[in-house]
Amino acid sequence: MSRTDALETIRYEDDGDIATIRLVRPRINVRQLSEIERVVDVLEDSSKASLVIFRGASEGIDFADFDPKVGLDIHGFNKWEKLLRRIEQLEKVTACFAEGDLTGGGFQLLLTCDVRSARPGVHFRLPEVQMGFLPGMATWRLARYVGFGHARRLILRGDAVGTDEAVRLGLIDEVREDLDHADLRAHYRPETALAAVLARRLLLESGETQFEDALGNLLAAQFRAISQSAFLENLKR
Amino acid sequence: MLVASPRLLAIGTANPPEVVRQEDLLARFRVDDPKIRSLFTSSHIRTRHLYLPEAGPDGAPHETQGQLLAKHKWGALQIGPQAVEACLSQVQLTVRDIDHLICITTTGFLAPGLTALLMKEMGFREDCSRADIVGMGCNAGLNGLNLATAWASANPGKNALMVCIEICSAVYVFDNTMRTAIVNSLFGDGAAAVLVRASALDEQGPPLARVLGFSSHLIPQASDAMRFDWDDDAGKLSFFLDRDIPYVVGANAPKPVGRLLAQHGLKKRHIAHWIVHSGGRKVVDAIKYNLGLSDYDVRHTHSVLRDFGNLSSGSFLFSYKRLMAEGKVRRGDFGIMMTMGPGSTIETALIRWS
Repeated sequence: MSRTDALETIRYEDDGDIATIRLVRPRINVRQLSEIERVVDVLEDSSKASLVIFRGASEGIDFADFDPKVGLDIHGFNKWEKLLRRIEQLEKVTACFAEGDLTGGGFQLLLTCDVRSARPGVHFRLPEVQMGFLPGMATWRLARYVGFGHARRLILRGDAVGTDEAVRLGLIDEVREDLDHADLRAHYRPETALAAVLARRLLLESGETQFEDALGNLLAAQFRAISQSAFLENLKR
Repeated sequence: MLVASPRLLAIGTANPPEVVRQEDLLARFRVDDPKIRSLFTSSHIRTRHLYLPEAGPDGAPHETQGQLLAKHKWGALQIGPQAVEACLSQVQLTVRDIDHLICITTTGFLAPGLTALLMKEMGFREDCSRADIVGMGCNAGLNGLNLATAWASANPGKNALMVCIEICSAVYVFDNTMRTAIVNSLFGDGAAAVLVRASALDEQGPPLARVLGFSSHLIPQASDAMRFDWDDDAGKLSFFLDRDIPYVVGANAPKPVGRLLAQHGLKKRHIAHWIVHSGGRKVVDAIKYNLGLSDYDVRHTHSVLRDFGNLSSGSFLFSYKRLMAEGKVRRGDFGIMMTMGPGSTIETALIRWS
């Protein structure tokens, strides 16, 4: 049995160019987490796709999946964070399209993606603090997108963000009825995927690195970029 | 029945007593050239342990090749035994218990070799077998570990000891060129000893690393990139480091790592710990960006570089010691050791704690 057979909570398609993961369960449970993990394994190990799209809607953690007498397991949260970090570091361009509201974990997932967009009328929300727990490493990621003040309001008050505000804050790039693969491909081409991935890493590290260290990192990344056969071929044209 | 597999039982390190900051060196040898000064102060090295000569009347150090060779020998016989003692005392063994001795050095040429000198100095048994690896450079610790584990596997229950001893202060030319300044700003003196024995696993005590396999990668196109030249004017050996080699090494790093992982049916995400040679900031950056490692993954590589400089063949064992001291390693974790050096070459080893 292949690792992507018998998926129940997500759908996975991969045409060797673009891989799409659809969230078909409205709430995140242990099974959905492990199914996304299995797909990320395939994306890391064997998929030839250079663009990965996550799409769907999510209402966050499914508490019905947990026995209230036992409570939630901290290691489950750790697994979730490790999964998001792997998605954030995939050597492929990642996109997230919100077909409906993204709440809690769904919004956290969107924040890890390179390209973010949503249908009109969609809302984003981190209600965790209002429920008495924490929105994971959105506490780390959100301020990088929107600045400390907005991040504080969105996380502590759990305010819902509509698409207009989301575009204005840079949480999403655009609002559209549906994803257009050709349009995505116009900006994110297979031959530039490595440069995009390297640039993403430098950007992610930019807040925490001294300029001199960042310059060392840039040169290491730049050497890798300019040594690619795709880049050298392009120069010859 | 459990198969006896070679394990790293103990590790010990030693350095010369004198610790110098990069700024101290510039002052001591009156280095004024701003380019050379910035090379020393921006190299991500804070301190090094060195056997330093006094400055001459002109401010420069003046040691002949003969004096340097002598320094290599007495320096090695000072810190080498200290590293061996530090290693063996952890497992309540003495040099009389060692059955096979491997010594590694690139910073001096000796006959008889360091193994014979160390055995005489420390009183090893006269039937201890031995081998010297000389001149292989910074990567040589893993070339030596390959032999040590092969010997240990062929002789279960017997003790193999590998000792990397590098007196980098015995190899320098001081002529105010960038070529020599790069070398003079980078390397430090240090020795590391590791005890290897193949024995059935026991679940007592702290996790110990088993060595599962090795993968090497030679880059023949870069054979000139790191090399010794004889400098006729100085009358000394002069080490040369190509300025692009860090990036070339980084670009090639995925090859041996990929082979090593594939041989054992593993993926990069299964590797919990990376023990990478502290070759210099550039090569560590290049490895990070080609293997997708984080600063956290190479934290000990950075801290060893910061505190000791590049210790050549023993560097990765200093990182390994810091990793073990940290207490985060768990039974079942996989690790990859990686060293780089002249050839140009990349050597890798897969280890697993049990």
